[in-house]
Parts: sequence; C-alpha cells; structure tokens
Amino acid sequence: MSRALALGASLLLAVCAPAWGQRGDERGARPPALARCDTHYDKGRPLEARGCYGQVLREAGPPARAEAYWMLGDLKAANDEFREAVRLEPENPDLRVRWGYLFIESHQEPEAAQLFEEALEIDDEHVPAMLGMARVMASRFEGKAGEVVRSALEKRPRQAQGHLLLGRMALEEGNLEEARKALEKGLEQSKELGIAPLEAFALLASLEMLEGRRDNEWIDRALEYNPGYGQIFAEQAHFYVITRRYRDATERLRKAVEIAPALWRAHAELGVNLMREGLDEEGRRHLEIAYEGDPYSAKTVNTLRLLDTYDDFDTVESEDFSDPGTPGSIFMLGREEAALLRPYVLDLTARAIAEFERKYEFRLQRPVRVEMFPNHDDFAVRSLGMPGIGLLGVTFGYVVVMDSPSARPPGEFHWGTTLWHELAHVFTLESTGHLVPRWFSEGISMYEEWMADPRWGESVNPEYIEAVRTGKLLPVAELDRGFIRPRYEGQVVVSYLQAGFVCRFIAERWDSSKLVELLRGFAEDRSTSENIQSVLGLAPEEFDGRFDAFMRETLGPALDGLPSWRRNLKAALEAAREGTWEAVIEPAGKALEDYPQFVGSGNSYVLLATAHDRLGNREQAIELLQAYERLGGRQPETLKKLAGWLEEAGRSEEAAYTYDGLLYNAPHDEEIHARLGELLLEAGEHAAALREFESVLALDPLDRAAAEYNLAKAYVKIGDLEEARVHVLNALERAPTFRPALQLLQQVKR
Amino acid sequence: MTHLALRAVVRFASWSALVAAGALAGSQVGAATHFVVIEGIGGTRTYAESFRDQVEQMLTVLRETAGSDDAVRVLAGREATAVHIQAAFDELAGAVAPGDSLAVFLVGHGTHDGKDYKLNIPGPDITASQLDSWLDAVPAASQLVVSSTSASGGALETLKSANRIVITATRSGRETTATAFGTYWVAALSDAEADTDKNETISALEAFRYAEDKVKAHYADEKRLATEHPVLQGERAEGFLLARVGAAAAQALDPTKRPLLERRQDLERRITDLTLRKDQMPADQYLDALEALLLEVATLQAELDKASDSEDGERP
Repeated sequence: MSRALALGASLLLAVCAPAWGQRGDERGARPPALARCDTHYDKGRPLEARGCYGQVLREAGPPARAEAYWMLGDLKAANDEFREAVRLEPENPDLRVRWGYLFIESHQEPEAAQLFEEALEIDDEHVPAMLGMARVMASRFEGKAGEVVRSALEKRPRQAQGHLLLGRMALEEGNLEEARKALEKGLEQSKELGIAPLEAFALLASLEMLEGRRDNEWIDRALEYNPGYGQIFAEQAHFYVITRRYRDATERLRKAVEIAPALWRAHAELGVNLMREGLDEEGRRHLEIAYEGDPYSAKTVNTLRLLDTYDDFDTVESEDFSDPGTPGSIFMLGREEAALLRPYVLDLTARAIAEFERKYEFRLQRPVRVEMFPNHDDFAVRSLGMPGIGLLGVTFGYVVVMDSPSARPPGEFHWGTTLWHELAHVFTLESTGHLVPRWFSEGISMYEEWMADPRWGESVNPEYIEAVRTGKLLPVAELDRGFIRPRYEGQVVVSYLQAGFVCRFIAERWDSSKLVELLRGFAEDRSTSENIQSVLGLAPEEFDGRFDAFMRETLGPALDGLPSWRRNLKAALEAAREGTWEAVIEPAGKALEDYPQFVGSGNSYVLLATAHDRLGNREQAIELLQAYERLGGRQPETLKKLAGWLEEAGRSEEAAYTYDGLLYNAPHDEEIHARLGELLLEAGEHAAALREFESVLALDPLDRAAAEYNLAKAYVKIGDLEEARVHVLNALERAPTFRPALQLLQQVKR
Repeated sequence: MTHLALRAVVRFASWSALVAAGALAGSQVGAATHFVVIEGIGGTRTYAESFRDQVEQMLTVLRETAGSDDAVRVLAGREATAVHIQAAFDELAGAVAPGDSLAVFLVGHGTHDGKDYKLNIPGPDITASQLDSWLDAVPAASQLVVSSTSASGGALETLKSANRIVITATRSGRETTATAFGTYWVAALSDAEADTDKNETISALEAFRYAEDKVKAHYADEKRLATEHPVLQGERAEGFLLARVGAAAAQALDPTKRPLLERRQDLERRITDLTLRKDQMPADQYLDALEALLLEVATLQAELDKASDSEDGERP
C-alpha cells in the first residue's frame, strides 16, 4: 500500500465527520462568517455545509479560509492559511490557539502546546489558550491539567469547555460523581451560550456507560441533533479502552464507523483495538481506510508500518500443558532470536498459566498470544500506536505484547519477571470480564512476581520509602488515581509498589484466597470500597490504617534510614574509589543496615563483597553477593562473578542456580549458557544441559566447533548417539584436528 | 572482499587445511614470515603505557612464531620515525624472498585528513600512501597489514592490493576516537579461545574474528554506542599464521613429525574439498564420507600425540 499523502480524497467526506475539538470561541475566536456554515454542519447537513464553506474560501481572508479548509478536511491548506494569518497578525493570540487546535486534530500535541504557549506569552490571561494547554496536558494524563482548567474557570466562569474538560478528566480517573457534576454544568453552559451540545452529550453518554448503561438517552439525543454523529460511540470506546475493556470498545467503534464512515480516527482506533484482540487482518483493513482518509495520523501510519514488519517474525504455537493436542499459546518472536528464546519463553508461559489457573481458579477460554518485539519502538507502536513510551510490557486480555530482551541494553531488562507480570494480567482481566480496577490488576501482577522467585519483581526504591514515611500513599479506594493522573514525579512507580504490597499484605494477614475472593467481587462490578468491606470485613479507611502499619513494619530500618544510608554509602564509595578496602567495610556495612532492600546501582552488597574479596575473604564476599541476588540484584557481570566464585569453591549447584537466574536477564550471553550447560551435564541433568548447548549454537558463537562438540556430549549422555554423531561431525567439519571431538567421534561412529 | 562476505564463505568450509597448507607449510619448507611492529606516539601516559604493553605482548608471540628474534623488527619510541621506518622497509625489500610472508602491525593513534591516513609518530607522520609504496617494493608472496589505530579504516582503500590482507580497527577515517581493538587483537594471539578450528594455530582471520567479537561485547557491556567497527579486507586471511598454541608449536619444529603432519595436512585438504561439495551430495552420503576422513585424522592424531608423549617420557 502506498503511504503517499492523499489529501484530496477526504474533501467530500470530511463534512460528514464531526471534527472533535474543532470549533467554538471557547477554543479561540473564529471569524463570524463561519457561523451559518457551522449550523449546517452541526445539524448533519453535509451538502449545505460544503457549499457554505466553499463560499467562505472564495470570499474571506486567511483566518476564515484556514477554518473553512479545516472543516473541509484539507488540513495542509488550513495549516498554510494559519501560517499566513499569523504572519499578518502576529499579536493575535486567538489565531495561535486556533492553529494549535489544528495541530491537536492532526495528532501533533507538542506543536499544539508550543502554539498555546506562544498565545499565553502574548496574553497570559487568555482563557482559550489556557484551556488548549490543559487539553494537551490532559491527553498526556498530566496531573497539572486540572489546576490549569480551574484557573481558566476562575477567569471566565461562564463557559462550557472548562467544565467539560474537568468532567472528562474525572471520568478518566473513574470519579463518576465528580464527572457528572462537571458535565451537567458544561451542558447547561453549552445551552446558555448557544454552543452545540454534542461534546457534552458524548461525555454524558460515556458517564452513564461506565455506570452500567451502555445505550442511554444521551446517545439518542445526540443522534437526534446530528444523525451522523459517530463520535458519540467513539467517545464511549475511549473510556472502554482506558478501563481495558477492549472488546467492548471494539463494539462501540464498529457502531461509530457504521454511522460515520468518514470518522477516520474511529477507523484507526478500531484497527488498533482489533489488533489488541489478535485480529490483525481486520485491524489492517480499518487502518488502511483511516490512512486513505487521514494520512497525517502518526498512529495510523506507525501501526501500518509495524504490520509491514510482521514478516520478520516467527509464529509458533505451543500445546496446552494440561490438555495435550490443543493449542495452548501462540508466540510471535523476532526471527533472528526465535531459536534462542523459544524454549525459555514457552516454558515460562506454560508454568505461569499452570500456576495462575490453579491459584485463581480460572480456566483460560482462548490461547494466549505473546508477542515479543526486538525493537522497543515497534513494541510501543503495537501498544499505543506511538513510539517513545517507557513501558516494558502491555496486556490486552489474551494478547500480551512486550519488549524482547534485545530491545534493551544487556542486563537492563528482566524479561522473565516482565512476562510473568503480564501473564498474571491475563488472568485478572479475563476472570473479571476486564472489570478489575487497574490497581488490583497491577497489584496482583507485582505480588505474583515476588511469589514466582525471590530474585524477581521490583525492589523497594527510595521514592517509595519516602512516600510511606511522609504519608503520600493513596487510600486504597483511590489508588487507581496514582496510575492514571499522577500528582507528583514518580507517583506511578510508587503506586505500582503500593498495589503490590497491598496484595502481599492481604495474602499475609488474611490468606491468599482473599485475593481470589476480591477478584470475584470485582467481576461482579463491585467498587474497591465495597469489595474490601465485603471480603475483608473492614472499612477501606481501617484497611488503610492497618496497611500503613504493615508497610512501616516491612520497611523496618529503611523507613528512617535514608539520610544515614546516603552518608554511609558516600563514605564507602569514596574509600572504594581510593582503593582503601579496609575503610570500605564499616560505612558500607552501616549503609547495608540502614537500607537492606537497596540492590540498585552502587549498592552496599557489591561494595562490601568487593572489599571482602580484595581483603582475601572470598567466603564473606560470596555470602554478600548471594544476599544481593536473593533481594533482586540483577547486574549480570556481578552475578556472573558470583557464579564463577561458586564454581571455584566447588559449589556447583549454587553456581547453576545463579546462572539459571541470569537466563531471564541476560539470555544473549553465550558464556552463561555454556557454563550452565556444563554444570547441568555434570549434575546429570542432561535434557536441561542440551537446551543450554542448543542456546549457545543459536547465538552463532565464535567458537562454533566447541558448541557443536558440547551438544554432541549432551546427546551421548541422553543416549541419542545418532544426533551426537551429527553434531560431532559438525564440530569437526569446522575443526578437523579438534582432539576431544575426534575422540568422541570414535565413540559414536556408525 | 568485505569481512561480511568473507564470513559467509568461511561458514561453509573448513579452512584449517588451508591454514596448515599456507604459512605453516611454507615455514616447514624454508619459507619465512617477517614481522614489523611500529609503535606510534601515545600522547598521554595512559595511552603510551597501553601501546607499550600491546607491543611487548605481541613481540613475545611473534618471536616464538617466527622461531627467531631476527625475523621480528620493532620500531618504537625515537626509532619510530619516518626515516627509520622507510629504512627498515628498504632493508626488507632486499631480505625477503618471493615465497616469504610479511606482516606489519601499526599500534598507536591515527588520523585521516580527508585524503590520506596518517600514523602519529615522532617527527613527520607516515601516510598510508607511503606505506603502500614501501610494501609494494617487498617481494613477499603474501602480506598482512594490521592497524589498530583510530581512523585506520581511512587506509583501507590506499592499501588495497592483490595478495595483501588489511585489517583495521575502524571502518573509515571518520571513526577518530581511540580504539579498543588493539588490546583484543593482542589477546587473540595467545588465547586458545581464538583458535576456533582447534588446529592449535591462530590465523589472521581467527585473530580478527576474536577481536571483532570482543570489541562488540566491549561496547555492549559499557552500554556505549560503538565508535569503532573493525574491517578485514583481502583474501586468505585464514591461511596467514600468526601464532601457535598447544602442542602444535613443538610439533611444527620437529622434523621427525613431518611425515605424519604432511599426511594429516593431506587429509585436511581432502576434507576441505569434501565440504566444498557438500551442497551437491545427499546429507547421509556427505556425513559418511566426512566421518571416514575424520576417523583417519583421529588415527593420525593419536599417533602424533603418542609420539609426543613418549618423547616427553624420555626427557630427564
């Protein structure tokens, strides 16, 4: 498919499409000549609207011409006219605001924000510019957006936009009561000010949908006002998407494009959403329609480009572990790393599904699809349609997408714990019909990471300790807010940890079966407060108090130890830098006592271990690095050193444990597979050794002859002499005088 | 030939026979390999020490490979001037026989002025063009030039010549940051891990692949964007012997082992011929034929090792 711009194609149809955020003086003053055309447009009279805007093009100046081109769907011409209008009237803030909204329309929020900024430099009390800026902030889920809107409302109380924006944000945060108040006020203002009430209808329709009434009176009223107003359903779909109810969103988006075939955004959303359900081909069709109509959408173009790269992936199906013969899971892996990753990814997925089916008493209804992207931006596009996100993995129900280990620098990404986390989401989402609140789904995933392996999951960071100490954790009933619109730097990460600890607290103080009961309660659409009260038998406020005590007890000395930890660590690092290892011991030891959970960069365990090793106390060094490992320390070079020391000390089983852990953190490291293979072979675990030696080969090693030879040895151990012969011949083909291989050949020859 | 294309070839063929039949065989029948090591200016103490270490380690290996100190010329410090370097090549032009091999190693910092590559030495720098003309005057059957300096890729085009292998730390003259390649190149000459065909010798190709691999890992481990991309240009790098490891060093110098070594070399040539016909044969037939030849190698190898063991036992 050609990706060339095709502007003309959308001209005729564009007047049938409502352009969200496009008009109204509350979004910057527009020339009066447009008013009568807008009435035709709002009332769903496309032919009359087209003729009217055409007349404006012939008769008016650049500001009105820009608006008319925009309404006719020619965004490029509109952009040119705005540039000319701003050149002629550089001190007019409204023109910049209108131009900013054009950029929002064409999915270029940073440019829009720049124009709103410029308008505010001209007039710092310009309400439409403030609202424009707030809209951009809200689209990025920035906590400051509400503050900016409230300030705009103080300056101009009589307006609809500010109230509608507040209502939208409250809806996104799940605060339905507050949303209703703001939206009703917005509707009232729309009527009073003579503004088309369609946006208010769409948001109220979404509100009632979230309250459980999907098809409601607001839809009827909107369609009565404008029968082609497909945005009413697209708006509802937006709220289904952010509450992770993707199948419901698809249903709404299908309705949207049915009554408004030229609603390109809805086609694009529908395409992306169908892909979230694993329906790639149907998704591609809608994305191509969207592209034909709106070639400017970065989301559409990015996703279509991503689909074009799917030929570079291998798709494999695994059998259901509990029901052999039926497909259990589907995996999409980058072709260049599929041979390496396949056995580990398949094994981990099967283990996770078995564990979660047992724990959460829920049998999956469809195969899980796991997609791993070697390029992080491809993963980001697959998740949200746009590159540049900081996530590692996303679950859309039965579809899990994530970075593959090669998407990030070696050792920086633990793919095992990430996949485990995402697979837990499959269960929390699907067992509740996607009704589980975000905090509980994330909490279970975090908790399950910790339960899977002591080395997995997130470690407690200083920001979290500080949040506990200063009482910044959110009440459990409002914990979702910390994920959706954070109020301070780092609140999202703090909220993840809090959610995980809440689940751990419940499992430890009550029983893990309570987590299952809570999940069932959420499946019945209970709120967090109702569910906590009903399952745990106490009010959410009382729960918060008990959780706070639990958290303070869990953090122990770290709660008040951060200042001392920083001081001691600094002293230890300085001594280490100077190479005075005796002087490292005391401050590093104190730093460790101050904050024993810290295993990040520059931690006390590695410092102390290095000091002890340099001072000749290897045993102590090993003990410290093992503690580092158990607490989630992940630096591959450090752990490889530990494994090497353990091997030197003859502690092969412990060394194998460490190497095995590294498979989930640094799977592209040939040495880890080779050493683990040797240890497993010595331990008599021949099949496992075979897997490791096959992984070495999959990495296309420099010393291929040795890799083939090792594989041959493993085949001899499991009694498959024919395979052993093939691999020893492969080794000797490259290295005909390789003595050990020649000896092995004599053993396995035909 | 780019190194990528070369890798594609060696992937499918056993080259150890060629190694044995090339420089190793040559040395057995009287042909010699001459080595020249030029150490440029370090600039700072750290670089100067690093370059000195690299050169010293290289000299130890090369002297053992050559079997004589005389075959290894080193130009370092005040001796590394353009005048002295030219004089050394003039001397080599008269001393090297047509069947001999010549290897030149440049250690230090390099630059590229957009036209020519230069090695930083005391006094006027030497250029790739000068080096090319001096090398052209030496009648060696095969030549190897290894430059581990920054910007060394800028010399590739100038030094291109039939029968000459050129290895550089960078792919162009625009990669001007100090390189890590030299350290790994020197390590390759004494690390058995570099001997990927397990024939107990390290060829120029093996040393290059080892160093290239380590350079990649170096930047990946340090989480830095790679500022050097090594290149190998020319053919038959697999046949250019640089170092011996293990028993091969002793066996190569022992005239009593010569008949057995020659028989083994013959078998290795036949294996190479067979691997080149692999795609034209049914898989089973190929493996059977390969197995038969390798079992003969195994028998010969056992005889060689037995002879070496009994000699060891006889020593007081």
